[in-house]
Amino acid sequence: MKRSPAEILREYGPFPNADKVHGVTYDGRHVWFAAGETLIAVDPESGNPVRTIEAAADAGTAFDGRYLFQIAEDRIHKIDPETGRVLSTIPAPGGGGDSGLAWAEGSLWVGQYRERKINQVDPETGEILRTIESERVVTGVTWTDGELWHGTWDGEESDIRRIDPETGEVLVQLDMPAGTGVSGLEADGNGRFLCGGGGSGTIRAVRRPTRGGAAGQKA
Amino acid sequence: MDSIITAAARALAAGDHLGALKRVALRDDPPALALRGIAMARLGDLDRARALLKSAARAFGPKEAVARARCVVAEAEIAFVSRDLGWAAKALGSARETLETHGDRVNATHARHLEVRRLLLTGRVAEAERMFSGIDGTALPPLSRAAHELIAAGLAIRRLRTQPAREALARAGRIAREADIPVLSAEVDRARLVLDTPAARLIAEGGERRLLLEEVEALFASGALVVDACRYAVRGGTVCVPLATRPVLFALARVLAEAWPADASREELLARTFRARHADDSHRARLRVEIGRLRAALRGLAGVEATRRGFALTPRAADGVVVLAPPMEEEHGGVLALLADGEAWSSSALALALGMSQRTVQRALEDLAAAGKVQAYGRGRARRWTTPPLPGFTTTLLLPGPLPSD
Repeated sequence: MKRSPAEILREYGPFPNADKVHGVTYDGRHVWFAAGETLIAVDPESGNPVRTIEAAADAGTAFDGRYLFQIAEDRIHKIDPETGRVLSTIPAPGGGGDSGLAWAEGSLWVGQYRERKINQVDPETGEILRTIESERVVTGVTWTDGELWHGTWDGEESDIRRIDPETGEVLVQLDMPAGTGVSGLEADGNGRFLCGGGGSGTIRAVRRPTRGGAAGQKA
Repeated sequence: MDSIITAAARALAAGDHLGALKRVALRDDPPALALRGIAMARLGDLDRARALLKSAARAFGPKEAVARARCVVAEAEIAFVSRDLGWAAKALGSARETLETHGDRVNATHARHLEVRRLLLTGRVAEAERMFSGIDGTALPPLSRAAHELIAAGLAIRRLRTQPAREALARAGRIAREADIPVLSAEVDRARLVLDTPAARLIAEGGERRLLLEEVEALFASGALVVDACRYAVRGGTVCVPLATRPVLFALARVLAEAWPADASREELLARTFRARHADDSHRARLRVEIGRLRAALRGLAGVEATRRGFALTPRAADGVVVLAPPMEEEHGGVLALLADGEAWSSSALALALGMSQRTVQRALEDLAAAGKVQAYGRGRARRWTTPPLPGFTTTLLLPGPLPSD
């Protein structure tokens, strides 16, 4: 297992009318985050909020290339980012103990916070296809370049780790500085992780190590 | 945090206590227990709230020190509001330190406020002032800032500094208005009432009138010799001779002060201090002894000289002699007078000071408590009595958020 300190490249926020960041995703143009009663889109260049959708947004956020998926209490809503309408709803696999959300390979991947699990879920039916055990509480979840990463936030310690999706074994671990937590995670496909900062109300961009282990190379 | 906990915390923040409870009612993990505890506190079930917060604090893991500390602070606040001061002050202190180390400034300050309020309630005013002066009240959220100003006002009133008290209350009122929190505005108004209600009666040269706290303050600063029947003490300038535990001496001083500048006759002194109807030689002998004791106690403030009729006060360098009495000479006035010093009294100490039986004092205290004029905390022999809340005793629960991601 490779372990190193997380390198924070940039911090977004705090944002007006949003004191907490619960989930983060990226649609290729904007960074979306869940702020409790709203989903807010932020321009990654300027760092300014550009759009707001009224929607219950309590935990993980994901984007499948066209639609947003958002955890609200014990459900996962599929939301049209153009209209803000909820198109369909499936039960969340953790029954409300759910935290992170990612979309990859036709499935939703849902972190279950205190259960220390990641569930692979059919986005149409909500059926649990598979469960990966992690050794730590799971906050954000993301897939990038075939790698499964998740955030952890156990009390005062937080890190971003890449795990083997078959065995749950930790392959890489990036330790967040003391006092900074990861409440949501998304890879922006551009060499960065976007990390929700929970109660700090910020989103932090963290350098993603490349497959060789040398950090900093842009994909 | 997970989704339901976030949703429940959101409901709680919006004042939807039942909505919060509904979401976490069936969950027993530590964040859910903590949220249930806070919701129950807001709904007024303080016993249940304490039990829930206690079990949440126990269940948080070793790495969740901040969450645990917040539970301890919330539990302490609930204990304080229910006037149960049996909880460990040490636990609150170390929870506060944990919050300080982890940079949770708002909740650390909240914990410190609780510590000050506890000291104030238990009559340790100097300690309370010391601790309060170490708090940086700026840059707190409105609710905490208003609480801060209310405590400042409470301390100032205890010290009879009415101008700073008024200023602190004005600041608290402004914050409450700006933040649009009606409960808080009402609390500030209640606190103002303390300053705008007569606090005492002035008896001098045959007449009497009511005094506001400000006028009492001015009186103490005036250089007059004040026989203070509100606190059972004699004051002159910066000198204060407490006579609370010497009721006969205080009664003599009061009769002499009411007669001043004339003397008081032996008959009147005997009648009002020993309740003696016919003065005989043994009474006269006792009077001489007690006057001798009073003379010794007041040395430096005033002399007590024998006249043909009886005795007269001769203040050293004072502008006159006055008596300061409670606003109403009501039933149990003596008990109220002693409690007016802001200290926490045991019923046995009150009985000793008043020369009454402990049972009589207890009956008086129960009457007064039923009328909302005094309050007790602690149980059994540790039970203590104080006068009703001063500013600084916010009845609004300000409970910290117990969740680390908050």
